[in-house]
Amino acid sequence: MQYTYAERVNYMANSAIRELLKIAEQPQVISFAGGLPAAELFPLSEIKESYAQVLGAGDPSVLQYGTTEGYLPLREEISAQMRAKGIQTEADNIFLTNGSQQGLDLITKLFINPGDVVLLQNPSYLGAIQTFRSYQANFDTIPTNEAGIDDLALELLIKQNPPKIIYLAPTYQNPTGTTLTLKERKAVLRIASKYGIPIIEDDPYGELRYDDEALPSIRSCSTDNEVIYLGTFSKTLAPGLRLGWIVAEKSLIAKLVVAKQGTDLHTSTLLQRATHYYLTHFNAVEHIKTIRQAYKFRRDYMLTELEENFSDQAIWTKPSGGMFIWLTLPERYDTVNLLPHALAGNVAFVPGAHFFTYNGKYSSMRLNFSNPAPQQIKQGIKLLSTIVAAY
Amino acid sequence: MKLHLDRSIKTPLYLQIESQIRQLILANDLPPGFRLPPERKLATSLGVNRTTVVNAYHELVADGLIQPHVGKGTIVSPPQPANPSLGHFSNAKAIQPISWQNFYTRQSERMHNPVLASILDEIGENDEISFALGSPAGEYYPLEEFKEISKKVMRPDNWRAFEYGPTIGHYPLRQYLADWLSQRGLHTQAQTILITSGSQQGLDLLTKIFLEPGDYIVIEEPSFLGAIGVFKAAGAHILTVPVDQEGLKTDVLEQILSRHRPKFIYTLPTFQNPSGTTMSLARRHKLLELAYQYHIPIVEDDPYSELYYENEPLPSLKSLDEFGHVIYLGTFSKILFPGLRLGWCVAPSQVLEQLSLAKQLVDLHTSTIAQWVMAEFCKQGLLDKHLPIVRNQYRLQRDAMVTALTEFAPQGLSWTIPEGGYYLWCELPPDMKAAALLTRAADKKVTFVPGNAFHVNSGGKDRIRLCFARHSETTIREGIYRLCEAISEILNQPHLRGTTNRPRFSEPLV
Repeated sequence: MQYTYAERVNYMANSAIRELLKIAEQPQVISFAGGLPAAELFPLSEIKESYAQVLGAGDPSVLQYGTTEGYLPLREEISAQMRAKGIQTEADNIFLTNGSQQGLDLITKLFINPGDVVLLQNPSYLGAIQTFRSYQANFDTIPTNEAGIDDLALELLIKQNPPKIIYLAPTYQNPTGTTLTLKERKAVLRIASKYGIPIIEDDPYGELRYDDEALPSIRSCSTDNEVIYLGTFSKTLAPGLRLGWIVAEKSLIAKLVVAKQGTDLHTSTLLQRATHYYLTHFNAVEHIKTIRQAYKFRRDYMLTELEENFSDQAIWTKPSGGMFIWLTLPERYDTVNLLPHALAGNVAFVPGAHFFTYNGKYSSMRLNFSNPAPQQIKQGIKLLSTIVAAY
Repeated sequence: MKLHLDRSIKTPLYLQIESQIRQLILANDLPPGFRLPPERKLATSLGVNRTTVVNAYHELVADGLIQPHVGKGTIVSPPQPANPSLGHFSNAKAIQPISWQNFYTRQSERMHNPVLASILDEIGENDEISFALGSPAGEYYPLEEFKEISKKVMRPDNWRAFEYGPTIGHYPLRQYLADWLSQRGLHTQAQTILITSGSQQGLDLLTKIFLEPGDYIVIEEPSFLGAIGVFKAAGAHILTVPVDQEGLKTDVLEQILSRHRPKFIYTLPTFQNPSGTTMSLARRHKLLELAYQYHIPIVEDDPYSELYYENEPLPSLKSLDEFGHVIYLGTFSKILFPGLRLGWCVAPSQVLEQLSLAKQLVDLHTSTIAQWVMAEFCKQGLLDKHLPIVRNQYRLQRDAMVTALTEFAPQGLSWTIPEGGYYLWCELPPDMKAAALLTRAADKKVTFVPGNAFHVNSGGKDRIRLCFARHSETTIREGIYRLCEAISEILNQPHLRGTTNRPRFSEPLV
């Protein structure tokens, strides 16, 4: 049977990267390619206890249909956490999703007509780029100079080619690990506000903070709901659960409700209740501190190893949080071509090209430090430098 | 001043006018001091009510963009001085709040908000009996067993159950389903099964990969309202085929197919939601014949076939399909419980791959832990143990509803008796509209879904859907009593047709 697909399917390309990275899953390969949190840090017994408690309460509603926007006590809990971060919000402004990926999908569905422009950082989160592409968006890049975001150029760009939305991951960005300064955040907000352009602030790593104080989220600086904030439990609890949230004004929440109802009715009731139990009966803050410590150690370790092995071969970011370091080799390298050699040498990374919206030759790569064990970091970085030198 | 109104989209006309004038003012095409046309004149030139223009102007005045002046008319205001509290804005113009209305996609404008606001009142809170929500009975949820399985799966070293997983789904669960379906005549393998976040997601993904706005599809009428909503939101042109006691009328379908090329045919052939009918074997064969003849895929939605109360159900279309034309959707929601959001899709590999790609972008994968626990639950034989219990119980509940109707129904009310599934589909006495009954019934604390929710166009107003799966026999009897009372009251006092106060439902209506 010959199936006739919709045009948008042409934009849902399977990343060649996925195929290559399947090789990275083999046990002998040291992988810096995944975007995985460290599994041994999942609070397994607390999660197990939470599930046991909510299932053991004799209340069948825990397995019943639920409201689309989400379990109210959990929304209240999340809104309290948001307020603690300086985001003025109530339970009514919180919308639960199957992870921030779904948040991205629903928002894009609501805002992007084919041909609409998304203004974003380049490089940017691959999952977001793919989602925007699947709705046939066009892209524009937020202009930068050595000082960071170039606000004059940004305003000019917006005037000439108004985007529908702006997508930003301002804190410990995937893939570069960089963080926008307060000045940059306010500049983008000011300009977006002026031209009436909504901003999606994607913040999966905000809690994975190793050095300085947290910078205020862009949402917390906004006065008029210009910013739609995406949060998730994937990195602080466990990614396999699929639970995230959107902070937005009520009229947008109402639209999200309608959109999500058509998509999957609601996010798992059991999951929401168990998560609420976890947040209110266990010390989530302590757990996050444990994660921070562990990842900080691995970050430092990787930075040290990079210094040891790459100091005259490359430059790299020194992120103060998150899960990734962005390494840039000299211009002559094309990391897409380098990858098969690396895999043959049993080390994996993600070539930078996959995080850009425009084609080109890139000498950058994304290295994940949260997942590999310290020993593997040492070994892997050394291996990588050998492979690079030999190329 | 040129304004364009689009009456085909859902945005109210006054908002369209308001936002276009706003844009013109902000772009300085209507400079300060510009005099707007008088309301009556603009209304005439646009072909709208004067009130529409009045409302639009009112909004603009409230935002400080225009100002009425006695004797001079309505003038565009000069830009506001900067609000001192917005200190970080250097521009002198007031920052307008985002007019979200202008941002939404054409698709989102089409999103179907069912006749009833889709939020269901908290059941039990105020003694209300709902026959509306298509939900299984909570009393029979195997909570204890499920809890024990969860504890077992979440053992200390099993962090894998909490990691990111493959989009296509947890292999052991897919393998279990492949075996389970094969036992039911649907021979398939793990590789051709995708785990979804409920069959609603299955529908949504199929729509994403197949439907462009304007594409034709064919559905039964009446049909599942969740499907209608998704298809409408995608901008599909929906062609309907009526259903009789043998199911979808294939003669009508044939006529449609000879004239149109739909992207697919959507059917719920066994214990249909809402009508309860089952497509006869002859019709199943005929439907497949037509699909092969005209090269049209069939989407078979099958949530209820395990819930048979008389004989075992007929073979699924998918199990009869020899040429890869059927895409099959199943779910745990109605046979077990809905709260986990777990379903499956069986499709030809090529289609499955596309669905997977689409799903990856929507939510990466369905919850790993939910799949692990469900796989273990099923492998321990607990699903098979559960099914006969609910089959027996729901049969009793169906019978209780039929008995109560037989006893209490006033003249003119009729109903189907399904051989399985969840619903009785009732026809109201002549001239009575479901919408009117809804209000009256709500006063008596009983609800249902009005039939027009299951129709694409304007039919079904004289029908109602009653779900018997959810409540005990006693509650069903009480609810039917109240409902029949409401019907009788309207019959005796026909002026009680009043306006409907839409009941609010807090759970999605399925």
